[in-house]
Amino acid sequence: MRSKFLIMLLMCLTTVSAFAHHVLGRPAYSLSDDSNTPPSMQVETQIGDFFVTYMAFPAFPQPGQQGRVNLYATHREDGKPFDGQVTFVIKDDKWFGGHKETLGTQKIDDGVYRQGFLIDKAGEYIISARFISGGEPYTIDFPLKIGQVSGIGPIGIALIVIIFVLVMVNVIQRKRLLRGKIQAAHKDSAA
Amino acid sequence: MIMTHPGLPVYWQVLIGVFMLLVSAWAIFAKAPEKTSHVGWPLERMPLVGLLIRFLNASPWPLLFAKIIMVAIFITVIYSGLQGTPIPERNLATVLTWNLWWAGLVVAIFFLGSAWCAICPWDALATWLVRMRLWGRGKLNNSLNIKVPKWLRNVWPALLMFMVLTWFELGVGVTLDPYATAVLSLLMVVMATVSLALFEDKAFCHYFCPVGRTVGYYSQLAPVALRPLDPNICAACTTLECYHGSETVEPCPTHLVMGTLKENTFCTSCGNCVQSCPDQNVSWHLRPQSVEVKQDARPNWDDAWFMLGLLTLTSFHGITMLPFWYDGISQFGGWIGDSGQLLLSFSLGMLFVMLAPIALYAALVYLAQRWTGNTVRYRQAFSVLAFASLPLAFSYHIAHNLNHLVRESHDLWLLFTNPSGEGMLPLSMMEKHERHLQMIISQDTLFLLQGGLMLFGFWLAIQVIRYRAFALYSETKLWVLPIVLFAILIHGFDLWLMAQPMTMRM
Repeated sequence: MRSKFLIMLLMCLTTVSAFAHHVLGRPAYSLSDDSNTPPSMQVETQIGDFFVTYMAFPAFPQPGQQGRVNLYATHREDGKPFDGQVTFVIKDDKWFGGHKETLGTQKIDDGVYRQGFLIDKAGEYIISARFISGGEPYTIDFPLKIGQVSGIGPIGIALIVIIFVLVMVNVIQRKRLLRGKIQAAHKDSAA
Repeated sequence: MIMTHPGLPVYWQVLIGVFMLLVSAWAIFAKAPEKTSHVGWPLERMPLVGLLIRFLNASPWPLLFAKIIMVAIFITVIYSGLQGTPIPERNLATVLTWNLWWAGLVVAIFFLGSAWCAICPWDALATWLVRMRLWGRGKLNNSLNIKVPKWLRNVWPALLMFMVLTWFELGVGVTLDPYATAVLSLLMVVMATVSLALFEDKAFCHYFCPVGRTVGYYSQLAPVALRPLDPNICAACTTLECYHGSETVEPCPTHLVMGTLKENTFCTSCGNCVQSCPDQNVSWHLRPQSVEVKQDARPNWDDAWFMLGLLTLTSFHGITMLPFWYDGISQFGGWIGDSGQLLLSFSLGMLFVMLAPIALYAALVYLAQRWTGNTVRYRQAFSVLAFASLPLAFSYHIAHNLNHLVRESHDLWLLFTNPSGEGMLPLSMMEKHERHLQMIISQDTLFLLQGGLMLFGFWLAIQVIRYRAFALYSETKLWVLPIVLFAILIHGFDLWLMAQPMTMRM
């Protein structure tokens, strides 16, 4: 979710409507009461003709730790599961560029599309699930945080903006004062 | 599985409903009210509380100390949000910001007016950064002191910001995202600082801050206010230190003159007037809660829209916490081809919920105008009668927020000892149930408070309608019917919302 907040703000300000099949649901964290599994992160979202539930185990994987994503997609009309192929792609969650890699293409298994992953480097990632239904391409993005990531970015941006404004204001004010003094001196000499 | 809080019981609904009908009937048939004058009672002359007020007034240090504590907590919130766990119920940033502060702020206004603004960490940080000192009159060098452009000298920017804040809160789901909560908090500090560096005085507090303006309008209903101890001293004053400041004390941040001050709306309770007055003639007063909104506050077009915006957005908060809202938005999203977080559907839903009551209000004011033979301008009637929306919004807002405060503010001590939620797991269903059952006060007491607030809000709204409308249309009583109908419909809807099971925030 790191830079997603800012990206979402920018997208909402710059687009009229969101018809693209590219979604970011709201994550929720749940702990199963009747199992010893670690907490999972879950996103429930709606895209085109489908309700999609996307789940990651564990919710906060560490670098080098085996993880898994599960995807459930059901038709909104009749609740039947989508039966096809889903391709999972992982990429860096960066504004520009970033590494991209296909994790695999999965068929339905007991109503679920399951994809394992193992990432060695801590950071912010996005796992995209892609499938085609009725000739329409669907992409569901899922944010994934591996390990501890520095949160210094927003503080740095805030400090840069504040320092820049304060320095500029100070420079302008000093020039104003200097100009005032010069004008006063001119008036005095003219008098 | 969604956890919900139980709604207000049927006996309270019936009681409030009957009360609303009786009071409405009385409002239509009772004789016209007379204007009253209320100076209030100085708190510093009262036993016990007077000691505290005199201590607070004596020097700037108590306020500075409170500001430092608030800034320390604020920095902890930022750190926890950016570095801590993304599990919202385990991170201090989300719980403190949304469950305690945002919910408790409105309750605090009920007792302390705009006191929050005096210790606001956004403004404290901005002031320290720009003025480069913790207290006292700063160097003018650090601000361009530009006059706010005329087209911005109103509360439209604050209303827009309030709508954006609500959109982020309920649409994007910032309340469930500690990182986004921290980013939003930082953004407010940046905006306050930039505004203070560019514009003269506290333009951010005066025109732009959605929280400050919400606090300001609700403060019209507060039982306390900063006022002169002796109005005659103010009347004879020619130096106006309260307005201009003194050598050591900053001027009033929102351009208020104590001698003519009649409304709390733009008072930030900063205490500059208390500190700068050479006659020590300014202090806190206790007063009837209705006096300002009934007769003293001046009507303005933009003020009216902000108050109506408050009314609709508070109801909107309640609507989005009902389980059917999600189904409705999902259905609507399907119709219009919306995807993902359904932000387009949410935005349209929010716009509808905001505009529908305002359209109803506009139509009913028009009806009142027609019945009274258009004796006053429509715009004036619209502005004046909008004061009735304030107690309706305030009472429902507090009653709604009490649910969050009482039922969702557990384990705060645990959060302060581990603000980042290191090593914490999400709340299990069992823990959520436990938290649900361990309320700060008993459920019956909560219902009593909520029911009492709903009764109080409607009573006050009817009082406002009677006073304001008689001041507008002194000859006839027909005007009262459409506006009373508006109050009944809005408060009735809010009562219905209160009666529904409400989704737990986190």
